[in-house]
Amino acid sequence: MAAGVEMRETHKVARLHAVLWGIFSLGGMIAAFLLPVMIYLTGIAYPLGLWPFNGSRDPSFLVTGTLLGMLFVFVTIAGSLFHGIFRFQSALTEVGLLRFKKGLEAVGYFLIFAGIIVLAYYLLVLNPSLPTL
Amino acid sequence: MAENKSFPELRRKLTPGWWTANRHYVQYMFREWTSLFVALFSLVYIYGLSLWATGSRNAFLNLLKNPATIAFSFIALIFTLYHAATWFYLLGQVVPMKIGKTTSKPWQALAVNLVLMLIVSYLVIWLLVLR
Repeated sequence: MAAGVEMRETHKVARLHAVLWGIFSLGGMIAAFLLPVMIYLTGIAYPLGLWPFNGSRDPSFLVTGTLLGMLFVFVTIAGSLFHGIFRFQSALTEVGLLRFKKGLEAVGYFLIFAGIIVLAYYLLVLNPSLPTL
Repeated sequence: MAENKSFPELRRKLTPGWWTANRHYVQYMFREWTSLFVALFSLVYIYGLSLWATGSRNAFLNLLKNPATIAFSFIALIFTLYHAATWFYLLGQVVPMKIGKTTSKPWQALAVNLVLMLIVSYLVIWLLVLR
């Protein structure tokens, strides 16, 4: 009886791990395909006046201009945040911090989920009526 | 439980600097640490949005124009591109594709995905800025 309960718990934990690793992989694809262009647009092209921001638009157009832009910002930042923190905290456990694994995981997941909630909140505050596609 | 085992469990103890033992381990650890820049850029961007949401759009744009942010963005872009390249190479190693009698090599996955990344990047710029 106790063994059955224990096994069910183990399955639950294994399923949760599989889901988290799945999101991690998806975040890896997002960070690989979408983050470079996001960094180029917002952190380099706009402040240095390079193509395509040598005209009238600026990176705020990505956030409030169209629904597609807002979704791009959310998916890219949320996916990259999840992937980056998940991977970094796991790398820390490999350089002598294994005994702090639980604490690192707690801080990591807090940063991930708080970051994603705050990101969604600010995007909604900045777009009180959702822009068109 | 452990005392009931017929054979003792042998675990290799790793020192914090185990990854400096050879070039492959160093590459592995370097690849893992580039993820710090992926996470940091995301956090800086969320911070920028917070300045805009609680203040003005100019506060967000001024953060992007700050020389320190520009320098950080350059470093973040280099590490993010390195992350992308190693991720694509890893994809080719983990899930090689079988085409007829030949199996794809990791460098082929890297090349195809890099071209795909350029196409996706141009599409994003065209759809979200130029259109």
